[in-house]
Amino acid sequence: MKNRLKIWVGIGTCALVNTGTALAITGATTEQPTMYGTGAESGLMAQANTCRAVAVTGGGEGEDEIPSGEGGEGGEGGEGGEGGEGGEGGEGGSSTTSPTDSPTDSPTVFLPPDQRFSDRQIITDFVDKLIVPNYQFLTQQSGELSVAITAFTQSPTDTTLKAARQAWLATRSPWEQSEAFAFGPAASLGLDAELDDWPLNEADVQAVLDSQDVLTPDYIDNLQTSQKGFHAIGFLLFGTDNDKALADFTPRDSAYLEAIAPVFDQTANDLLKSWVTGIDSYPAYREEFVNAGEGSSTYPTIQAAGAEIVQGILGILDELGNVKIGEALDSQNPFLLEGRFSQSSLQDFQNNLLSAQNAYLGDFPAGNTDGRGLSDFVAAVNPALDTQIRQQMQAAQVALNAIQPPIERSLCDPTMQPQIAAAQESILDLFTTFEQQVLPLVQQ
Amino acid sequence: MTKLFIVPQRRIGLPSGIWTRRLWLALGAAVAGIILSTLLQMSVYSQPRLPLAGGETTVQNRTSRAYEQPAPNLDNYWSDRHAVGDLAFEAAFVTAPAKVNPGLGPLFNGTSCTGCHIKNGRGMPEKGQRVIRASQLLTAASSQNSSPASSTGDLSGDSLSSSQFPTDSYTVETIAPGENAQPVPGIGTQIQEQGVYGYAPEAVIQVDWQEQQGTYGDGSSYKLRSPQLQLARFNGQPLPTGLLLSNRIPPPVFGAGLLEAVPEANILQQADPDDLDRDGISGRPNRVWDVVEQAEVLGRFGWKASSPTLLQQSAAAYRNDMGVTNPLFSATDGKPDIDLGILKAAAIYVQTLGVPAQTQLDSPAVQRGEQLFMDANCAACHRIELPTGQHEIPALVNQTIYAYTDLLLHDMGSGLADNRPDFQATGNEWRTPPLWGIGLAQTVLPYSSYLHDGRARSLAEAILWHGGEAESAKERFRTLPADDRAALIQFLQSL
Repeated sequence: MKNRLKIWVGIGTCALVNTGTALAITGATTEQPTMYGTGAESGLMAQANTCRAVAVTGGGEGEDEIPSGEGGEGGEGGEGGEGGEGGEGGEGGSSTTSPTDSPTDSPTVFLPPDQRFSDRQIITDFVDKLIVPNYQFLTQQSGELSVAITAFTQSPTDTTLKAARQAWLATRSPWEQSEAFAFGPAASLGLDAELDDWPLNEADVQAVLDSQDVLTPDYIDNLQTSQKGFHAIGFLLFGTDNDKALADFTPRDSAYLEAIAPVFDQTANDLLKSWVTGIDSYPAYREEFVNAGEGSSTYPTIQAAGAEIVQGILGILDELGNVKIGEALDSQNPFLLEGRFSQSSLQDFQNNLLSAQNAYLGDFPAGNTDGRGLSDFVAAVNPALDTQIRQQMQAAQVALNAIQPPIERSLCDPTMQPQIAAAQESILDLFTTFEQQVLPLVQQ
Repeated sequence: MTKLFIVPQRRIGLPSGIWTRRLWLALGAAVAGIILSTLLQMSVYSQPRLPLAGGETTVQNRTSRAYEQPAPNLDNYWSDRHAVGDLAFEAAFVTAPAKVNPGLGPLFNGTSCTGCHIKNGRGMPEKGQRVIRASQLLTAASSQNSSPASSTGDLSGDSLSSSQFPTDSYTVETIAPGENAQPVPGIGTQIQEQGVYGYAPEAVIQVDWQEQQGTYGDGSSYKLRSPQLQLARFNGQPLPTGLLLSNRIPPPVFGAGLLEAVPEANILQQADPDDLDRDGISGRPNRVWDVVEQAEVLGRFGWKASSPTLLQQSAAAYRNDMGVTNPLFSATDGKPDIDLGILKAAAIYVQTLGVPAQTQLDSPAVQRGEQLFMDANCAACHRIELPTGQHEIPALVNQTIYAYTDLLLHDMGSGLADNRPDFQATGNEWRTPPLWGIGLAQTVLPYSSYLHDGRARSLAEAILWHGGEAESAKERFRTLPADDRAALIQFLQSL
């Protein structure tokens, strides 16, 4: 996905080169280039250039014709300026000899062996001072959410409804803050999907509500992942546009909410346990990670675990900049904003950025922990780089805060476009710094 | 640099007279190698180069995201296509009508490509990730006898009563001409274990793991496990007799574009269907139906090489695994759930992924392990090197790749057999799976397992399950001293 970075760099060139093809194939939809508008795509997203909620099929766009390979190659020349792909144009820098992860023109300092990434404390603290406290905080919030939901369903008032919604938002925060380290059991044991599958299967949730089925936690547990988790609870609590009135709640809504809350809370607790004690007879994943280079079967070296931290940061910045913000911005389609029901997508974005920052610093501020982090390593070997990263993080935070909430509405406000685009750019700048400068340092 | 690759020398019996010439050749090659490596070292690199498992598509990444990297040699155009494909590969489908991604089901195994191929890695042998293929023994299909279903009702769960499912439909998978898998009445050729609201899954499956003991040559013992499947129908209908089941986990998807680009001649060159060279190893190409070409062609993908191209493989997965109709496998009512653009985008995403480079080349254990791998003749099937030829994606053209597969079918013995023929593949045969990146399997997905049904919890167990044509290689491993066994595993972990 990181290659999407290059799209902004090369888009002008590509658009010029491919204008002919684009006009021919996408017809009238080319007043402004779409994110992937390098030419021939004619998928649904490309038709969505006016700001409106548009249904999307199968992950967006594709194209009907596969043009010959030569068709799209015109954009190469536009790359040098941004260093989007180091090595191109350098001496002998064909991609054969230039792994993208260590661009030859990066200002990376060559580290003597004794300065290379070997600090076990950073790896240990990453789990004990960040991952575990973060998941602990998540389970604390999911427990409170469950209590708040019960309070609401047993005594539905504006006050209890507001409290339940607040509890949902408060649970959402530590979850979105955990996305820089969504590797390990969160992925393989399907816990991520159980908690946060998107999009919601609205038709099936509605079918369940309309049915006579007895709604119990066991029943919910057997549903598809897209019928439980954050977005199902969010849909039930907030309505489709944060506009559900107290009077709109049906007994079936309450029954669904009562049944889903303990299932959700249990999954959050399973996630925590999968790291600290292990679940389903699988060993605790903490040991695999902290024993990197010393008996871990998954991380043969400490550097590999260090690279995992950086890759997690890259993963969330890519997801945030290119997909969560990028896709919605380019298609001008609020349906693609994941926090649409509660109109809290911007809060998600801020927490995702915080997640990257926490992963870099090795801290979990919400849990008052202060670990030794990747930043300590970077500051020791390249203080200027550490300063630069902190400044870029600050800038990205300011840029996100400049967007008028809810972004579900401001996405379609022409006067807000520069702010949203600036926020995206600041996040992608940070991504570039981590990819081009931090990763090579850690991998040396 | 000198150990850029350790390419196996084919062990051919040579007349003794040419030994002197070979020596000189070897010396010459060594000198040339040293000069060449020095020259290359002098170019851009300060770090030692690693074997480029995927040629120019190789990525240096040993993290949980190692299988998700775009090939670094994509040009701008294909980088953009990769990014678009990434969205298609991640898109989770839901029941229509929906604002985003309608078209799921009505029956399905998973809801997105990544839902099964999590982080592009091998999935778990669990509902939602595995796929169980089914077929009907021809002889049994003609008879009307049915056996009672085993423990129907017990498995269906107290909250999922059959009254919840008014319909009694099932997915009839598209049967290609020449396919010898006869659909099972009420099931088809694949068991969809999930349904959208109102649709009963085709069956509820319970897997019991049966353990068995074994002993290494040095007397230490090991345990293997194999899955025992129990099926029950929601509607209480009995299961037909002569039911053949093949339980399969999702394989990792990276590097598949390169395998698609290997010229057919290079694959067939290694084939030895009747074991004419009498080395105990056959190697048979599967011949399967290409729905685009409308012709019988070489099969390359899937556990039994039953799919000819990544486009067709993707289309079948959309249709059969997710219930998402598409231009290649469309619905009876005509309009497909996704268009050709999205189908191609998903295939292109897979085709343009990078292959992780081998690691830990300096480790003596890894070097020793590689030697043992060669000595045990593992490479007879896990063919180390393959060339690629032409492909519409320039990044895949003319690469030298180290996939550790011959893309051919081999009899792996009765212990691993699913006894379910698939085109030309017999019930005992499996396609040699690539080994590149296998050391990252559990980094990408902790607790994931090996072999077609995920029965092997470790690489050692995977080797110990080898039988049939691989019996002697397996025996070689089983009788090695513990240190050597560990070295061989460490070599595999370095891939």
